[in-house]
Amino acid sequence: MKGVFSAPGDYIHFKSQVPLHKIPIGTKQWRYYDFGPKVVPPLICLPGTAGTADVYYKQIMSLSIKGYRVISVDIPRVWNHHEWIQAFEKFLDAIDVHHIHLYGTSLGGFLAQLFAQHRPRRVRSLILSNSFLETRSFSSAMPWAPIVSWTPSFLLKRYVLTGIPDGPHEPFIADSVDFVVSQVETLSREDLASRLTLTVDAASIGPLLLSDSFITLMDTNDYCSIPQQLKDQLSERYPGARRAYLKTGGDFPFLSRSDEVNLHLQLHLRRVGVEPRPDLVKGISKDGSGGSSSEKNDEREDSDVPPKDNGGPESPETPSAETQLPEAPESSGSHSLDDQLLSNAKVCFTSPEHVRLLISHAFFEKQQDIVSTRFVQPAWEIFILCLLPLYVETMYITWIFCWKSRCLV
Amino acid sequence: MASRRRMLLKVIILGDSGVGKTSLMNQYVNRKFSNQYKATIGADFLTKEVQFEDRLFTLQIWDTAGQERFQSLGVAFYRGADCCVLVYDVNVMKSFDNLNNWREEFLIQASPSDPENFPFVVLGNKIDVDGGNSRVVSEKKAKAWCASKGNIPYFETSAKEGFNVEAAFQCIAKNALKNEPEEEIYLPDTIDVAGGGRQQRSSGCEC
Repeated sequence: MKGVFSAPGDYIHFKSQVPLHKIPIGTKQWRYYDFGPKVVPPLICLPGTAGTADVYYKQIMSLSIKGYRVISVDIPRVWNHHEWIQAFEKFLDAIDVHHIHLYGTSLGGFLAQLFAQHRPRRVRSLILSNSFLETRSFSSAMPWAPIVSWTPSFLLKRYVLTGIPDGPHEPFIADSVDFVVSQVETLSREDLASRLTLTVDAASIGPLLLSDSFITLMDTNDYCSIPQQLKDQLSERYPGARRAYLKTGGDFPFLSRSDEVNLHLQLHLRRVGVEPRPDLVKGISKDGSGGSSSEKNDEREDSDVPPKDNGGPESPETPSAETQLPEAPESSGSHSLDDQLLSNAKVCFTSPEHVRLLISHAFFEKQQDIVSTRFVQPAWEIFILCLLPLYVETMYITWIFCWKSRCLV
Repeated sequence: MASRRRMLLKVIILGDSGVGKTSLMNQYVNRKFSNQYKATIGADFLTKEVQFEDRLFTLQIWDTAGQERFQSLGVAFYRGADCCVLVYDVNVMKSFDNLNNWREEFLIQASPSDPENFPFVVLGNKIDVDGGNSRVVSEKKAKAWCASKGNIPYFETSAKEGFNVEAAFQCIAKNALKNEPEEEIYLPDTIDVAGGGRQQRSSGCEC
């Protein structure tokens, strides 16, 4: 099925060019990329359950060269929708961004709509890809949701990965799945648990103030893990939205059909009036590499919230621009590879990871079903045990009652 | 609950600048015409729901810039095209002569699997201009060219008056549909939302 994964060349190039930022804001840790001229209102990419900020690297590279500013974030560890809205707002304040355009895929699209609903003044436009309006069907598919925060990491990963349709894929789609799987591996248990909790936290999107003409729907028309009826529901909600459907692309068109997605993103931004600034691009790319060369020796994690850095494109993105780690840099344990050029060594390093994944994939295929029942069953048993005394009590009462009435007779 | 995916048909409109590609698309989708000329930058698209033989389709019509210098958006829009519409202005000989270039350009960029039988449709636009007096490309000549390229369907249209536009696009949709294979390979392999019935893969190795 999935072979040994080695980071694609353009991803290695991306990692060498674009600094990764990690900042704590309030109690939340934010991990994001921010690239492109600072004067342009940003396009912020929100990934789905199985994604990280890195999955949009093709968008960041392609659009920033054209003069757009692209920000891509990891969904932080939030546990309900209210918390998400607040955390995201604080994040925007911290990076000093006011008006935003959101591109959200699957869960990211849902979160984008939530934010647009509750903070209408900040969201200028939306691009929703394979997204949904409500979480009900996900929560009914996950009866073990209440214990998600105690579920071991491998089971969560397993659950997230089963959401990705496997089977024979066209090569680009297969590569996109491989890339996302490698990203899921970098996620911690808490990350996964929080995202799964968000997908099942009961909520639905209310009416948006945003006019439909500022919304683009970019669904893939072949297949994806979001059921068609949920996607239909979404497109019925926004009848005037632009339908930028892709014929094929699977779950991760931003990876498998990046040129088409980038074209649609560009068309969307043009329609909603975002002017790119290609004239400022040169400075940015210099700044990006310059910034990394000045602090490439080790990853620094400043623990303070960054000062509002709204300086022009020349101002380096300081707080903790961590770069130079070739792939999956912050899963420090298994993935910290020292040299991206030693590609042979890399293959040796990564392969056990994937073999392990494959094994767990096959082994827990059945296990997962068993486990979900195994967790649900004890809950039932406890429930019934609690009911038992009650039952005995009623029996006793009826018996007493019968006995008394018989005495009377 | 069985909501079927709506088939997506992708149509690309090509032709020299100013022949009325955008106007034709606008006339067909929005039934609007504007006399003001505005060059298309790169590419843009409109979608229209069409019904054909009891099935609904989404027609995604891509309008491209005639000017080379505006073709900055790359060639992503060529991918997966189901039909290519070649447009010329019946009053401008050059735009007719260029049809061959556009056709070849398309076949190179889109590289369809069966270039010989890829559906094209040719539209001779602006037949309304000057009551037809300024016309330089005769219908006969255009039809002869179409016949030489494997019987390409030909329509004479006026985006301004809306003449023949509907009929032309009907034909375009029909041809696009013929091109689209009955995609049985890509049956939706979605996750089971009900959770229970996850198909047990009966592969031998379970360890």
